[in-house]
Amino acid sequence: METVLKGAESKRRRAYSLERLERRAGILFALPALVGFLLFILLPMVCVFLLSLYKVDLMTNTFEFKHFQYYDKMLHDPDFWKSVRNTLVYLVIYVPVTLALGLGMALVLNAKMKARGVIRTFFIIPYITTYVATLVVWNVFLHPTEGPVNTLLMSLGVEKPPQYMVDTHWALPILALIGSWKDVGYHCILFLAALQGVSKDYLEAAEIDGAGRFRRFRHITFPLISPTSFFLLLITMIGGLQAFYQMALLTKGGPAFSTTTMTYHIYRSAFEFYNFSYASAVGMFLFLMTLVLIGVNWFGQKKWVFYQ
Amino acid sequence: MPLSSNARLTIRSAIFLLVGLIFITPLLWMLSTSLKFENQVFERPFVFLHVHSVNWSNYSHILTETDFPVWLWNSVFVVVVSVAFRLLLAALGGYAFGYLKFRGSDAIFFCFLVTLFIPYQLTLLPQFISFRFIGLLDTHWALIIPNIVDVLSIFLMRQFFLSFPKELIHAAYMEGSGIFRSFARVAMPLARTPVLTLGLLSFFMIWDQYYQPLIFLHSKELYTIPMGLQSFQTQFGKQYAMQMALACLAIIPVLGVFLALQKQFIESIVSSGLKG
Repeated sequence: METVLKGAESKRRRAYSLERLERRAGILFALPALVGFLLFILLPMVCVFLLSLYKVDLMTNTFEFKHFQYYDKMLHDPDFWKSVRNTLVYLVIYVPVTLALGLGMALVLNAKMKARGVIRTFFIIPYITTYVATLVVWNVFLHPTEGPVNTLLMSLGVEKPPQYMVDTHWALPILALIGSWKDVGYHCILFLAALQGVSKDYLEAAEIDGAGRFRRFRHITFPLISPTSFFLLLITMIGGLQAFYQMALLTKGGPAFSTTTMTYHIYRSAFEFYNFSYASAVGMFLFLMTLVLIGVNWFGQKKWVFYQ
Repeated sequence: MPLSSNARLTIRSAIFLLVGLIFITPLLWMLSTSLKFENQVFERPFVFLHVHSVNWSNYSHILTETDFPVWLWNSVFVVVVSVAFRLLLAALGGYAFGYLKFRGSDAIFFCFLVTLFIPYQLTLLPQFISFRFIGLLDTHWALIIPNIVDVLSIFLMRQFFLSFPKELIHAAYMEGSGIFRSFARVAMPLARTPVLTLGLLSFFMIWDQYYQPLIFLHSKELYTIPMGLQSFQTQFGKQYAMQMALACLAIIPVLGVFLALQKQFIESIVSSGLKG
């Protein structure tokens, strides 16, 4: 009797000390990540906020406290509001186009199809190729006078083909569409995975009940893939807010500021005018916008996202 | 006469094959142009490939006369070192937050997750200033260091270790392994799939990076491929065939990896996306 008790107690003690050992080791294992996180994410975040409150002189490495002066400057800067507007226009085109196109492609690949693997590869290729390389191609491809697209349009009798990246009305939508073209492969893959998870039984039952193709999609497929749609909506919004490559490589924010989004505004303020404080203020605003958009969607998801 | 369902299927497949080809027209045009002479770039009528006079000289010129081999080496170096450190940190961190746990580990991890929404353009501003202070500007370490701590990677490894069977580790303890040994000998070999997933995704992501080299690098001999492409474009703006050959060469390594590991790549995206 005694030995049994002793055995149980020592077992408990061993379990207890094991747990403690694991916890200690846990801190040790997490240490690199913790230190890295503090140094490269948390500290920069604190610094960036401080940066937006101080005037920084990179030549003399001096800092001068300015309160919220840079935020004030930002809110009264017409260029800043133009960049906000451009970012929103970019989002309004990029987000729905990418989602709709990705879903459309996934529906195609989910249907009975020959050479499905080849078609899928075609759809995904822009997503995996080097972004800058594709932009170099787009730059020539959409060249207003010599590019193959406009050469084709003119030979078809179009007298004034669009001027794409040099036209203030076309430039931003074109950049957004190039962004969609580049990223849609990702959406296609995830939507396809979600569609393959939709049970055929439901769809067949609805078909027997006389539901047409559209109603089957609307009432069965769409609710079942809505968690994926919601995830992709968030990812696309965050990606759209941070879009930068097209502006940097194709338009440099122009013509006439028409493609200067917030990210490009930050880049130019910091690395062309060396005004890091102002750039930090704009960056903080962008972060705030991201949080608000995510928050709105988080609470809005109850209305349409269906978790099984 | 109504078409048989098989014929209809073939027609439909052909249509979407065509749609797929149209979708990648810019890339096909790139391939075609890279094999032409400059005076053929905007020729009319358009010829996809001059079978009898294919111009390989663009490629040989780029491989021998430009810095492309240097850029390629730089890209490979930056990507390999970044991915190696990132995976190490993510594996250790994931095991700590997902399996070992410690007081406050869940709360700390929640803080990690919140920072996922910070635009990278924002954190790079103070990083630029601090790199300038410690003299890391214009070195490859300025590109590598910001890539090492990746919250998403730690998150994915944590998800994996959350559902890791405790019995396996306890059996290793019974056989006398310590915590580190059981991690290295039991947990890690079984984590091959998520590690491979992360490695693959990180490879594509870091290979693509352009903003970091744009702000951190000045010296041409340190350029990675995206920066090299951009500098080539500004320098030889009118040499289109040459630019296309360079773009092709830049794409070949990633395309090669993708085509070789297509299945794993797609599974990687699905597993990381749906859990993310």
